[in-house]
Formats: sequence, C-alpha cells, structure tokens
Amino acid sequence: MTETFTLPKVLPIGTILFELLFLLVAIPIEAYILHLMLKFDKKTSIFYAIAINVLSSVIGWNTFFLVEPILPIQIKTEIINYVFFNDFKTPNAKTFVILTGFIIFFLTFLLKFFLLKLMLYIINHSGETQKVQVVTSRREKFHTSIREKLLNNNLATTTLIANSVSYTAISLILLIRSK
Amino acid sequence: MDLFKDFIGAFKFVQNLFQGIGKFFTPAKAFSWQTFIYLSVFSLVASYFCVGFVKEIIAFFGWLFLIAGTAWYTTDDPLRVPGTFMPIGALITGFLISVFAFGHHESVVTIRSIVLWPTISAIITAIPEFFQGTGTEAKAQLPKVQIRQKLIILVAWSLLITCWLQFYFVVDKWLKEYPSLLSDNFQKSMFVTRVEEKSKLPQNGNTILTKLQPLIEEQIIDKPWSKVEKWLLESDQRVGSLGNQVIKHNLVKYAEHGLWRVEPRVTNVKSGYRLDILTIWTGPSASQLGFYLRKSCLIQPTSSSNQQDRKNVVADIKCDRFNKLVIGPPPPQQ
Repeated sequence: MTETFTLPKVLPIGTILFELLFLLVAIPIEAYILHLMLKFDKKTSIFYAIAINVLSSVIGWNTFFLVEPILPIQIKTEIINYVFFNDFKTPNAKTFVILTGFIIFFLTFLLKFFLLKLMLYIINHSGETQKVQVVTSRREKFHTSIREKLLNNNLATTTLIANSVSYTAISLILLIRSK
Repeated sequence: MDLFKDFIGAFKFVQNLFQGIGKFFTPAKAFSWQTFIYLSVFSLVASYFCVGFVKEIIAFFGWLFLIAGTAWYTTDDPLRVPGTFMPIGALITGFLISVFAFGHHESVVTIRSIVLWPTISAIITAIPEFFQGTGTEAKAQLPKVQIRQKLIILVAWSLLITCWLQFYFVVDKWLKEYPSLLSDNFQKSMFVTRVEEKSKLPQNGNTILTKLQPLIEEQIIDKPWSKVEKWLLESDQRVGSLGNQVIKHNLVKYAEHGLWRVEPRVTNVKSGYRLDILTIWTGPSASQLGFYLRKSCLIQPTSSSNQQDRKNVVADIKCDRFNKLVIGPPPPQQ
C-alpha cells in the first residue's frame, strides 16, 4: 500500500450505513431471543447481542482485509464491480455469492457461539479465586457434567436460532430493496 | 466618560486574558503536566540539532514526554465524547500514541496510525478501570461487571470503526491500482459515494493509444503497399503484440495493466483501408457490456516521396487526433 495521502475520491458512506442498519436489525432480534431462551435479563441480553454481533463483524472485516490482497484478479474484479457498480461482471458469479453466503452464515454461527461463551466467561469470572465446589460423590459429578452439557446445548441452539432469525430479517430487507 | 470606562474595561480584559494565558503555561508545581510539555518541546528542538542515533533517542523521549503531558492534562478534564464514556483526552492521547507508534520520517501520519486510532483510544479509556487507588499506589483489579460490559462494548465499536476506516483505505487503494474505474459511473453503488469529479476518459486507455500510435505509424509509413496489405492481414498479431509491449512499458505500476487488451479492426474503404485500434477494458465497469477506446487511422497508397523509386506505391497513414470512448462490446472481428 502506498503511504501517501490524497484527497478522498470516494467515501464508503453507504457501507457504514448498511452495516449500521444490519446491526440495528440484528441486535434487538438476537437480544430478544437470548432474553427469551436463556433467561438473561433485558440489559444483559442486549449487552451480549451487541458484543457478539459487533465483534463477529469485526472478525469478518479482518478476514476480508487479510484475504483481499491475495485474491486472484478475476475474483477481485468481481468484488470491485460489486462494490462500485452494484452488479457482477459475469452472470454466474451470483451462484457463487449465494454459496459464499451459506458458508458465511455457518461461520458466523460458530463465531457467535464462541464469542458468547467468551463473553459469559469474561462477565461471570469475578477475578477472585472462586469457591471450589467439593464434589463428593460420582453421582453429583455426573449431574454437574450433564447440566453443563445441557447449558452448552442450549447456548448453541439459541445462537443458531438467533443467527437464523436475524439473517432472515436482513435477507428480507435486501430482497425488498432489490425489488 | 463612558468611552474612557470602556477603554479601561477592555484593558482589564486583555490583562486578565494575558494573566490567564500566563497561568496556563506556568507549571503550578515542578511535577506537573506543563513540565512534560516543556520537556517535550525542549527535546524536539534539541533533536533537531543532533544527528543520527542521538537524534533518534532524543526525539523518542520527546514523544514520550508529549504523550505523558497530554495524557495528564486531559485526564484532569473529564470532557467526554458524546454518547460514550470515552474522554476526549483519550482520543488526543490515542492519536499521539498511534502517530508515535506507526509514523515514520517520510510521513508523520500514516494510514495505519489513522486506522488504529479509535482502537487505541478505547484501550486508553479502558486501562484506568483496571487499576484501583490513587496515582501513587495503584493496585491491579478487575473492574465491576457493569463496567466490564461497558468497556467490551466500547472496544467492540471502536474496532468496528477501525474496520470502516481500513475499508476506506482499501477502496482508495483499489482506485489507485485501477484508476480507469474513475471514468465510470458510481451512481448505482450502494457502498460508496463519489466526492470527486468523474474523469472523462480512462487515463490509462488514452496513454496506451497515444504511445501505440507512433509505433504503428512507423511500421506503415513509406512501406511498399503490398507489404502493408500483408501487414494488415496479420494485424491481429502485430497490433496485439505492439499493444502488449506498450502496456508492459507504461502501465506496469498499475495493477490494472492485465485488464487492458489491444485489438485492431480493419475495414475496406474506397481509397484504402481504415484501421481502428481498440483498447478494450475487461475490468469492472458499470455497464455489463464494458467499454473501449478507439483511434481510427486511414491507410492509403501514395506515390513515394523518394525521387528514385517513383513507380513504387507506398503507404501513408493518418490517425485521428482524439480517441473516442465507446460504451458497449467491441465490434466483431472480420
């Protein structure tokens, strides 16, 4: 990258507005689902929704910035064409985009799941040494492991549902816009 | 009399102003933020007169003093960025730190220092929350749950703003690597907004044609007519390779050089042949059909200007001065 500044030729205002719109759609939906399914109070679920959505888009952006310089010129041409002219150069790029969309959906699901676990850890970790529960019998141990597994399952299901619903909402907005 | 009073009043005002300024610049104690700023100014001046290794060290300390001084001054003043709990001081300190960390001699403010500025400012805002107590005896601690949540959200949004800034610079880099995009229409884009005037012709396409013209003329002017006709028959190859040569020589610093292609079109006209030299853009464009630039040349037989072989018919070529931009696919090859 050349390290010289020139007057801006274009500004990515649309990109920023679009992302804000997506976040404003996704955050309330996901916060509501977290509140409903994981029984967090409203404020906490909004915090988790903001954190996982904003941080997952940050990770997405960074992946793009890492991959973009090494893309072959054909794919780069398609991306530039889409960014500047809102269209693809070759017509069959659209199927490719739908495929990438699916992959991105599952990747964001995984990402959000891990981010949610990370946030839970950061928020619930009190800093002091926690009281170590003395587990006496094997039966009790078994029960705690079951409980943890259930919570984990619940977390995954909730993230999947929240992610699907917010993606559906965003896709609907895109569909209405393209009409 | 009133005028006199006004005058006295104005005098008092100026005096107070100067006193205020004086107070602002005089350190209250030996150990205060002004001292740091003075130290930094002194170091920067001193570093100006030094050379090499010593200069680097003194300048380095100058930066440290400047950052410490501003950080100290701005923490006294709890003015916050609207809508967040980030102090404006953290923004200023963050800017200084990122300029210090990522700037270098050629350009003090680099792209990276601008891109990382919000994130660094957010981290600066977050750091004091991890310490407890006064400046002299601090103890590391984990902030309370509410504050932890606030900090995570602040850092997350700052990271996102950093990404947006980076995206701006990526788009800017695209326009530098593919300058021919600038001659196109961004009206349909939902991602970017143009702030600069649209250029009329793609500059690089123009360059190719202007540099190619003398090369082609050289191969045709004053050559025997039969040879020129043969040349025109294999013009696809000839013009194509000349075009590649020109592109390789003039466009190599642009990433878009692989997206231009040169093709000839030859048509019969009454008095000879018309050679259209096309430079075809195969890169991104607003119209699905793309666009190309055309220079038309007229090739005619004339009698030789050379006195000795007056009988031989040689070729002459006349090209248009201006290139024409055509939107749409290039005409079919014969």
